[in-house]
Amino acid sequence: MDLFVQLTINGVIAGAIYALIALGFALIFGVTKFFNLAHGAVAVVGGYAAFFFLEHAGLGVLPAAALAVCVAGMVGFALHKTVFLPLRRRQATNLVLLIAALGLLTVIQALIAMFFGSQFHPLSQFAGAQEVYRIAGGAITLVQLIIIISALAVFGLLTLFLKKTKFGKAVKAIGDDEEVAQIVGINTHAIIGYVFFIGSAIAGLGGVLVGFDTGIEPTMGLSLLLKGIIAAIVGGVGSLSGAVLGAFLLGLAENLGIWHISGEWKDAIAFGILIFFLIWRPRGILPR
Amino acid sequence: MEENILEIKRLTKHFGGVHAVQNLSVVFARGAITGIIGPNGSGKTTLVNLLTGMLPMDGGVIVSDGATLRRMRAHEARFYGITRTFQNIRLFEQMTVLDNLLVVLTERRVFASLFERHGAYHLKKAEALLRQVGLWEKHNELALHLSYGQRKLLEIARAIGTDARVFLFDEPFAGLFPEMREIVKRQLEALREQGAAVLLIEHNTELIRQLSDYVVVLDSGKLLAEGKPESVLRRRDVLEAYLGE
Ligand SMILES: Nc1ncnc2c1ncn2[C@@H]1O[C@H](COP(=O)(O)OP(=O)(O)OP(=O)(O)O)[C@@H](O)[C@H]1O
Ligand SMILES: [Mg+2]
Repeated sequence: MDLFVQLTINGVIAGAIYALIALGFALIFGVTKFFNLAHGAVAVVGGYAAFFFLEHAGLGVLPAAALAVCVAGMVGFALHKTVFLPLRRRQATNLVLLIAALGLLTVIQALIAMFFGSQFHPLSQFAGAQEVYRIAGGAITLVQLIIIISALAVFGLLTLFLKKTKFGKAVKAIGDDEEVAQIVGINTHAIIGYVFFIGSAIAGLGGVLVGFDTGIEPTMGLSLLLKGIIAAIVGGVGSLSGAVLGAFLLGLAENLGIWHISGEWKDAIAFGILIFFLIWRPRGILPR
Repeated sequence: MEENILEIKRLTKHFGGVHAVQNLSVVFARGAITGIIGPNGSGKTTLVNLLTGMLPMDGGVIVSDGATLRRMRAHEARFYGITRTFQNIRLFEQMTVLDNLLVVLTERRVFASLFERHGAYHLKKAEALLRQVGLWEKHNELALHLSYGQRKLLEIARAIGTDARVFLFDEPFAGLFPEMREIVKRQLEALREQGAAVLLIEHNTELIRQLSDYVVVLDSGKLLAEGKPESVLRRRDVLEAYLGE
């Protein structure tokens, strides 16, 4: 029974991390309609920026984390400005954009490995000893609690923000029909730039939190990205609530799925779910 | 110079072997409705696509407020005060009727839009526009759920909601019932009154006669005739182009 509780808690934690990746991914996909694979790299950038500010700049945990989130957002924005926007202006197809993004993911992970080395860095070393809480026979650390709260808070705030502000309506219009949005005078390029910043900052937060929970390594981008994409597809691509739902479903399925089998099966379960959805419900649980 | 907002010179576009627009030169005057007629496939929609940068042009220039443009891109159209509607109606389907208007009433300052909600000013303006086309009762419905005629009216209201000075209407009357036609007519006349340049693509010559100050006839992408509606619509070659289709 205790194992079941612990696996459920682990599932929720994993789900929250996937949600942070999937939210930004879905937000960006919603306006650009291409699979931004570089989104995984942005999460890594967040984790390593935090590491840099903690280790080399000697900042405290909170300022380092906040700055790292900004850096991730700025890197996402810069990728849009220097790579995706010029390509989209040249009417590049989504396949071209996807491949460009894959290239960026590879290059950024390699650059990080060159500068920081490829060993694993737990960021928790900078945070001191962690509180551990017990819930119904399971354990959860403070960082893990923060991960869950962050994911839910980011989701809530983002949804509210998009619903209420002028910016949010413009984002929705671009998602519906970018060309028409341009014709009626919406400044689509600038808005998409901000969307890249926001979506990437959220992924950066994911990277930072993963760093404090377990640790960072240059290759973590790809695995985070894949889980984020699976969550987004399962939830219904482009829908934010779908992305969060998909993320928690995926996290829980992965962790509860290994109740009676070995942990190596986690990824197989994740991809099994992906394939199931691609075949039986390609538009996801909550299609946009 | 003063009264022409928009002019095209030797504008050309071909799709493979099809010459959709050939060497077309036309002046569109301020405070006037310019009717554009021509048989199916004569290049009317292509002309609108070129003017709004939705298709790249192959030759010629667009002169907007004195600036000579060899290239127009969709995101630049708003800068030159050009907007349009679509023959096949393109709304923001997943948004409400009201939001379809609010989103175009927003100013261009993107950074400020991050923190602002649409205020009473925008709501009032959107409401006025929706009442003008008789859609206020529907303001909370998704655009997707409107009838064909309502969709056309909403698209026209959305175009009027932009701060454009050149309006390109691609068959705004097509498929509308008489009372909706009257609404559309009033909108076009009001825009003319306000000094806008209005392009009206329309197959119904009676409507063209009633509304246009000037008529341009296209045939196979070429200028067949232009002038006052009374004289142009009487010309034998114009009638033949229509009857021949
Ligand atoms: N995107 C495109 N690709 C290829 N050919 C096109 C394209 N758009 C238009 N054409 C061709 O260009 C010609 C002009 O088409 P256009 O749509 O401009 O005609 P139109 O005058 O608007 O006709 P209608 O009265 O039927 O709306 C046609 O032969 C059409 O098939
Ligand atoms: Mg047409």
